[in-house]
Amino acid sequence: MNQETKTYRKGEIPGIIAINARECKGCDACKRFCPTGAITGMFGTTHRVDVDRCISCGQCLINCPFGAPYETVDPVDEVAAKLADKHVTVVGIIAPAVRVAIGEPFGMPAGSLVTGKMYSAMKKAGFVILDNNFAADLTIMEEGTEFIQRARHALFGEKAEHGGGIGPLPQFTSCCPAWVRFVETNYPALIPNLSSAKSPQQMAGAVAKTYGAAQVFNVAPESVYTVGIMPCTAKKFEASRPEFQSAWHFTKEKGGSAPSAPYPDIDAVLTTRDLARLLKKMKINLAAENDAEGGTLFAEYTGAGTIFGNTGGVMEAALRTAWVVLTGTPLSKIEFTAVRGLKGVKSAAVTLRDRKYGKEVTVKVAVVHDIRANIRPIVEEVMAGRSPYHFIEVMNCPGGCINGGGQPVCDTGSSWIGRVLPSFAWS
Amino acid sequence: MTESSFILKHPLRVRVFHYLLAASFLTLAVTGIMLYFKLLAEPAMNTAMQVHVVAGVVLTMDALAFFFLAFDRVVLFTKRTFTFSGNDIKWFAVLGGYPQKILLHKKVDVPPMGKYNAGQKLFGICVLVGGTLLILSGWVLWALPHAVPHGAASMIGSIHLYASWVLILFLFVHLFLGIYMWDDFKAMFVDGRIPYEDAAEKAPLWVKNDLRRLG
Ligand code: SF4
Ligand code: SF4
Ligand code: SF4
Repeated sequence: MNQETKTYRKGEIPGIIAINARECKGCDACKRFCPTGAITGMFGTTHRVDVDRCISCGQCLINCPFGAPYETVDPVDEVAAKLADKHVTVVGIIAPAVRVAIGEPFGMPAGSLVTGKMYSAMKKAGFVILDNNFAADLTIMEEGTEFIQRARHALFGEKAEHGGGIGPLPQFTSCCPAWVRFVETNYPALIPNLSSAKSPQQMAGAVAKTYGAAQVFNVAPESVYTVGIMPCTAKKFEASRPEFQSAWHFTKEKGGSAPSAPYPDIDAVLTTRDLARLLKKMKINLAAENDAEGGTLFAEYTGAGTIFGNTGGVMEAALRTAWVVLTGTPLSKIEFTAVRGLKGVKSAAVTLRDRKYGKEVTVKVAVVHDIRANIRPIVEEVMAGRSPYHFIEVMNCPGGCINGGGQPVCDTGSSWIGRVLPSFAWS
Repeated sequence: MTESSFILKHPLRVRVFHYLLAASFLTLAVTGIMLYFKLLAEPAMNTAMQVHVVAGVVLTMDALAFFFLAFDRVVLFTKRTFTFSGNDIKWFAVLGGYPQKILLHKKVDVPPMGKYNAGQKLFGICVLVGGTLLILSGWVLWALPHAVPHGAASMIGSIHLYASWVLILFLFVHLFLGIYMWDDFKAMFVDGRIPYEDAAEKAPLWVKNDLRRLG
C-alpha cells in the first residue's frame, strides 16, 4: 500500500483491511463494530479506513452487511507455490479457533470441531502440522511465570533472577495483536504493563525455525516456511512486526547458516477463510477427509492451550499455571469457570498460598473482550492507579478469537453478541 | 346530471395522503438517484442521505396514517386495482388510446373503464407492492443493517434498488399523464372534483355502477 503513515514502523504492513468504494453503501453499520473509530466517511458516503488508527482486527469486514471491506494481503498463491516446492518445509501453525470454523466453508454445520479432518486435509496439501495449542502452552508458561515474577516483585520486592527490570502490575496479556496495537497507539504509557511474552503464533514460528528445523524436521532453518493458520486478520500485521525475526537472530548468534537479510519467524498468515480457499484451490474437500493425527511432537498439547480461542481462556490457563507454581500443588479442580462466559468484563479473585514466602496472596483478575465496548474504563482505571486487578486478559473481538476477523463471514446475522438494537445512522 | 355537475373523485383525506406521498416520494427519488450515482461531494452526499431518511420517515408516517385513518379507502383502492376484466387487456392493446391521441391526434375506441383504467391499476399495484417493499427495506437498511443476515442484507438492498427504479420509471408516466389529464390533476391537487362529462368519458363504468347523486 502506497501511503504516508504515522503509526507503522518500516516493514510493518499498514492497513490489512480496506473498504471497496464500489461496494460500500455508506450505511455506517461498520462503525458500530470498529474498536478504534478508524472508519471515516459520513453517513451515506463511501467509507474509508484510517490505517493509522486501524488495528487490523477485521471486525468491520465480518460485520459489513454488504461485503465492502476486504483484506489487502492475500498470501494464498504464495503459500500454494511453497507447498509445491519440494525443497521447502511448510509448517502449518493451526490456531485453536480455526478448527471449529473451517468446517463451515465445506458445508459442515457451524461450530463443528474438525481437528482430525483439518490435520488430514493440511497434510494432503503438503503442510507439516504444528498445532498452535502446543505454542499456547509455551505462552502460558511464559505469561504465567512472568506474572508470578511481577506479583512477587510488587508484593515482596523480589528482584529479577538475571537482573534487569520487572514490569508493573496489572499485567495485560499480549497474545492479541489488535489489543497490543491498540495500547501502542492509544495508551503508550501502558506498554510496560503488557506481558513481554510473544503470542502463540510468534512463539510457534520461532520454535519451528530453531528447535523444529534442527530436531524435528532436520532441515536448514531458512528452508522452513511457517504459515500461521489464524482466525484473525491482525495476525497478518503481527507477523510483519520487525521484532519477530528471532529465529534468524538466534541462528546467526549460534553460528548457524543464516542469510544476510533477516527472515521473519512467520512467513505468511492464512485466515480461516484463506485456508478454505487454498484447500478448495487444491481440490481438497476437508469435509470428506478422515480424521488424522498431527504426526509430530508439535501436535501435542494440554487443555490449557485449547481454551485460548475463547474469551477467558488465556486467563484460565494462566491461573492454572500460577496456582501450580505458587502453591507447589496441582489444582484439585482444574477449571476457573468464573472467567468463562460472554459478559463484557468478568472478574475473579483467587486466594492462594505462596509457598516461597509462606504468605496468602489474593490475585484479582479481569477478563475483557470486545474492546470497543468494554476496555476504556478498565484502562482509565489503570492509568489513574486505581485498578483493583493484578492480571487482565484482553481480547479485541467480541467473544474472543472464535469471532475473529478472519473467520468465515457468518450469514446468519452479524451482531451475534448484543448490538441488535436499531441504530439510526445520521452524520 | 347537468353539464355543470361535478363529481367528488378524491376526498380530502385521499388528497392529503397524496400531497404527502407526492412530496416525500419525489424527494426520495431525487436524493436516491444522487446517492446511487454518488453524484456529490461528501458533505452534500451526507445531506442528501439525511433528506432521504427524513422523506422516508414522512412517507412511512403518511402510509401508516392513511392505512389506519382511511382503512375503507385502502380496501376500496386495493379491491379496485386488483379487479381485472377482459377490458383491461383490450385497454392495454390500445394503451388507453393515449399514444394515438398524443402523437397522431387520432381518437381510437377504448374499452369502458371503472374509476381506474388498466394503466392506473397496474401503477396502483406497483405502488402498493413496491411502496410496501421500499418502506420495509428502507427501514432495515437504515436502522438494522448490522442485525440482519448478510445474504438478506444484500437482497434487501437489491429489492430497495429495483423497487425504486420501477416506481421512478412509472412516476414519469404518472406525472406526464397526470398533467395531460389536467382536470384529474386539478382534482387531486385542488378540490377533489372532476367535471361529470370528463368522468363519464374516461370512467364510464365507475359513473354508471358506483356513483349516486347526492341531493
Ligand atoms: S458497513 Fe459496509 S457498506 Fe456500510 S458503510 Fe461500512 S463498509 Fe460501507
Ligand atoms: S480492521 Fe478493526 S480497527 Fe480497522 S477499521 Fe476495521 S474494525 Fe476498525
Ligand atoms: S481477539 Fe483473537 S481474532 Fe480478535 S484480534 Fe485478537 S487475536 Fe485476533
